[in-house]
Amino acid sequence: MNIKKLTFKPWMGFILFGVLLGLIPSLAQYTNLVKTSTIVTIGGTLIFAIAALGLNILLGYSGLISLGTAGFMGMAAYLSAYMTVDLGLPFEVSLLVAILLPTILGVLVGLISLKIEGMYLAIATLAVSEILRKTFEEFEFITNGFSGKSARFPQLFGFLQLDRASMYYLIVIMLVIAMLLTYNMMNGQVGRAFNAMRGSESAASAMGVYSLKYRLIAFALATILASLAGVMYVHFIRFAYPSTWNLKLSLDFLAMIVIGGLRSIYGTVLGAFIVFAIPDLFLKQIPFFNQLSYVLNGVLIIVVIMFYPNGLINIGYDLKKIWLKIRKGVENVTK
Amino acid sequence: MLQNNELLKIENLSIAFGGLKAVDQLNFIIHEKEIFGLIGPNGAGKTTVFNCITQFYKPNHGNLYFKNIKDEVINLVDLQVHQVIRQGIVRTFQNVELIRELSIIDNVLIGAHIDFKTGLISQALRLPKAVKEEAIYREKAEGILKKLGIYERKDMLVFGQPYGILKKVELARTFMSDPKLIILDEPAAGLNDVETLQLARTIRQIRDEFNCSVLLVEHDMRLVMDVCDTICAINFGKFLAIGNAKDIQKNPLVQEAYLGKEDEDE
Repeated sequence: MNIKKLTFKPWMGFILFGVLLGLIPSLAQYTNLVKTSTIVTIGGTLIFAIAALGLNILLGYSGLISLGTAGFMGMAAYLSAYMTVDLGLPFEVSLLVAILLPTILGVLVGLISLKIEGMYLAIATLAVSEILRKTFEEFEFITNGFSGKSARFPQLFGFLQLDRASMYYLIVIMLVIAMLLTYNMMNGQVGRAFNAMRGSESAASAMGVYSLKYRLIAFALATILASLAGVMYVHFIRFAYPSTWNLKLSLDFLAMIVIGGLRSIYGTVLGAFIVFAIPDLFLKQIPFFNQLSYVLNGVLIIVVIMFYPNGLINIGYDLKKIWLKIRKGVENVTK
Repeated sequence: MLQNNELLKIENLSIAFGGLKAVDQLNFIIHEKEIFGLIGPNGAGKTTVFNCITQFYKPNHGNLYFKNIKDEVINLVDLQVHQVIRQGIVRTFQNVELIRELSIIDNVLIGAHIDFKTGLISQALRLPKAVKEEAIYREKAEGILKKLGIYERKDMLVFGQPYGILKKVELARTFMSDPKLIILDEPAAGLNDVETLQLARTIRQIRDEFNCSVLLVEHDMRLVMDVCDTICAINFGKFLAIGNAKDIQKNPLVQEAYLGKEDEDE
């Protein structure tokens, strides 16, 4: 057990996780276990997991709530679609700009967070998100309004044209990078400062954590990840409607991190699967549950908060504990 | 403004909350390597003085001259809360302020926050210099935990630890920044007799090993009389007396503040 701990580094876990996710399409190709449409659902889920990771930095680690994730994600999606399709800019450029602009806006929202907290911050971020959504509807010049904006699979470095399968791999790579960097940041000085800010504002400032700086960093990181997810989304699904970026999506992000586990990186991905993939892949097959999948999220949040406040990611440890107990019990009996 | 071995000079400190004068024209001086006790009955304004020194409250009047780690004399009133620790003043809290969801060692490492030189990006990419820096401070934190005798618990969560341990973790956190002045807000509150005796030893040890001054507010008179070189008594925000333990015990004003005035008729 000890040897395993010494040799197995966290980054290996993330890479392994990425490889496993990358195997899913081949599984679809060579066996009939996974349908091609499933790949789209899983790819979409992983994209949402990237954005949820950002919200986890904000809410889980720093204790700052945001209901604006969907708005920022949408803003990045439209910007990237506009820049690649209408302006004909290379994907790399549009990726950078589509992350930069929402992040500037996100940092401005971070400034608001200095004055208001908790419920009021939630309302303020919700307002920003709704303003953005309204803009998507009205600003037809860029967003094409209600008819929706279409985009193409991206071309990397000017010659590498991606298709659905290779785009899926790009998403997996982006997710793994996001998980890895988030893990590194959250387990170092910056992560501790976030934790201190959430756990005890007075201890944080007494230890020299400048809350203005770290709140802005938290908002910037969350917006960067939401924007990255937005860009990935629009080039994977190849379509964006204003109605996608609504309050429900923001609440789904919240559900993902609460159900999966606050301050848990794998938990965020697990939460994304529970909130997005499971209803889509399984529940919609059952006629009666077709419409009920949305209710499920609400029920799950309540159940998890009441009985499992650390998130479902911890279920593994607890099962292991129970298993060890049972084994011990059996040993005692056989003795 | 400061004489040779003076560290902190409190000059005409006043703060009022509404009509209530919590601290009124208070003056005292803390010297280098001195253990200084601030005493007074409940509501005397001791913690308010602390909060004024650490800038959690902005005083209405007065100056707080401090000789910082660079040996420059500064007025603390000009600083923001998070800048105070950089000058070499670090504090604990009356009701332990720790991060429950973090391990003990991570809580201690928060105390080294200001010492980190690497930026967000080097930390995110785990560049060699960031890894090295983290290792240096982790080692330092482990050393401090060893000294306080709680090293075995370093990877346990703070949540669920006994109160005595929490007090030690908070103390360990203050050492991380190599301060010139450590401010302890009721360090013995909630500790049993054995732990209090141990604390007295630890406080002296702090002074000798870290070469710093200690300012403490405490209700446990035995501890105060035992460890403090100088004691300042206040009541209703006003200065009563200053001196060593014997002077303070004999001082009629202090006796009156704690025990009440003798009735003249009897």
